[in-house]
Amino acid sequence: MNFRWRRAAAVARKEWFHIRRDPFTLTLALALPLAMVIIYGVAIDFNIKNVSLAVSDFDATESSRRLVDTFASSDYFRVRRADSPGQALQDVVAEKARAALVIPPRFEKDLGAGRGASAQVLLDGADNSTVGPVSLYVQTIQTLANARIAGANPVAPYDLRTRFLFNPELNSRWFVIPGLIVVIMAILSIFLTALTVAREWENGSMELLLSTPIQPIEIIAGKAAPYAGLGILAVAFVYVIARTAFGVPFEGNLLVFALGCLLFLATYLAQGLLISVVTRQQTVAMQLSMLTGMLPSNLLSGFVFPIASMPRFFWYFTMLLPARWFMVIARRSFLEGSTLAQLGVPLAALGVSCAVMVSLAARRFRRSLE
Amino acid sequence: MTGETVVEARDLVVRYGSFTAVDHISFAVKRGEIFGFLGANGAGKTTTIRVLCGLLQPTAGDVRVAGAGYADGETAIKIRVGYMSQKFTLYNDLTVGENLDFIASLRKLDRSYYLERRSDLLNLISFTKGLDATVRDLSGGIKQQVSLAAALLHDPEIVFLDEPTAGVTPAGRDRFWKLIHGIAERGKTVFVTTHYMDEAEQCGRIALMRDGKLVATDTPAGLKSTAFPEPLYELDPVARLNPADVAAWEEHEGFAFFERYGPRFHASPLNAEEWQRRRPELERQFRIRPVAPSLEDVFLRIIEGPR
Repeated sequence: MNFRWRRAAAVARKEWFHIRRDPFTLTLALALPLAMVIIYGVAIDFNIKNVSLAVSDFDATESSRRLVDTFASSDYFRVRRADSPGQALQDVVAEKARAALVIPPRFEKDLGAGRGASAQVLLDGADNSTVGPVSLYVQTIQTLANARIAGANPVAPYDLRTRFLFNPELNSRWFVIPGLIVVIMAILSIFLTALTVAREWENGSMELLLSTPIQPIEIIAGKAAPYAGLGILAVAFVYVIARTAFGVPFEGNLLVFALGCLLFLATYLAQGLLISVVTRQQTVAMQLSMLTGMLPSNLLSGFVFPIASMPRFFWYFTMLLPARWFMVIARRSFLEGSTLAQLGVPLAALGVSCAVMVSLAARRFRRSLE
Repeated sequence: MTGETVVEARDLVVRYGSFTAVDHISFAVKRGEIFGFLGANGAGKTTTIRVLCGLLQPTAGDVRVAGAGYADGETAIKIRVGYMSQKFTLYNDLTVGENLDFIASLRKLDRSYYLERRSDLLNLISFTKGLDATVRDLSGGIKQQVSLAAALLHDPEIVFLDEPTAGVTPAGRDRFWKLIHGIAERGKTVFVTTHYMDEAEQCGRIALMRDGKLVATDTPAGLKSTAFPEPLYELDPVARLNPADVAAWEEHEGFAFFERYGPRFHASPLNAEEWQRRRPELERQFRIRPVAPSLEDVFLRIIEGPR
């Protein structure tokens, strides 16, 4: 078998003509990255701020006011006065507030007597996405309030100082946007290629290709090339937006990051081709690429949902996903400035999955033609 | 025909799992022939053609196409033949020029050779729309002609046309067949399948396939005389027949052949005595006249099932 560049290039050229004339492909390639950046970068804010807190203060003493003030003066809570514990609860039920703080009448007295005073915090447990961070805020503020209530000269046995490395302000966009590169690349490469071979089968033009001396590997290379170009373009686009519009730092090595991009792109292009070869129908190919490409890269790659907190089975399962490894490479390249050696494991994993997927697609394609 | 043999199949077998699509067929086609392939859908015509084009490795048996066989690799066959498949295979969203450019690149044709061939072939099919015309905008007949030009671009010895005129207007079919004759006159071999009997009549020789087997190979005239050794009569009903009468005649054992032919019937008696005996009864119901068998009669008799 001898590979001929001219034939592969002819296929690539022809594919480019298709792309140019197919509004769907071009729109998807251009609009998807833009839409994703707007949705994840602007509309969705993972930093929860200004949580409205219904406060019912029955004690109305200096101590209770200090406690309330500590909440009010933080960035995280917006205090809403309630006349009674019942109304505070009502506010949470009516979704006017996401949490409630109820201070009982004997709060300061109990404190002074050293009897162990207590106040109650009510959180909306039905809203799972906010309850975690909010309860964390409550704990932090409690520590702060304790110090203030105890007096100007708190005698703490030690001082635990926290500093956030790599993303000192815990800006969620810094975390999300590098991950977006992974998701966008995954969707684009898998969708577009999944349709391309299936389209040839549906049109019957595969028969034309096969009646010429072209080799399967030339068809694959020629078909993948233009979509690889589109994928690289999309990455560059998101990279520029990340650096300029969102000010995300890029601490790592661009070449290492580019290597990761290429490996990931090749893997997903191959997966798209594999889907296309197996299904031979555009509609089925579309659904299968959604199931095997878009869903895992969104949900199981650590993009939004942390892998560390997944059940054991899924934790191991994600090891099989190229998107998981590329997510690590993308984030650490942007924020941590990891070197080639530090990214050795994810790069190797990506390399293996790439080799497996490409050879699988090539073999399956060759077999399907016989 | 005195030319050399350019297509040969020897004991060709193609199986898909337990299904035998092509069952031990052998034939030979000479240079410059127009060789027709006739048979019902699923008889194995397309499968045979795909083997001959280098697209499908046979399960058993051997083919030689323009001097190449599977032992030389499929590519050796592919570069020697042109193939126009049943489905329209050009890209609708590309222009005529882009389609032809693409195929020329796949076949690695030399640029100047390609340009010369292209203008020759576009002349041959009298294509006037221009290379910038998008294929989608062409009529069905023109599309098929451009497809033919695409299959001939590399000047193959043999061209395989699988139902090239399906869905084309009668005038378009006529034009297409003029092209086929033109190609054969240039010394090329044309291998064609069709469902139209008038097209089959234009073939030099016809092979009839049924259930993967080759049941007859002959010239149209030869096929007719072998299929109908007895005379054939056309029976034109005098009055409207009731279905029971028709059924009775169709089942009648005195006939070797009795088939509906539009409003009339074509019938062939088992022998002359039988005919003399039945004639008076038939004449009360039908006007009778002897006719020459058409390929349709042959097809009905051989392919659709002997009585």
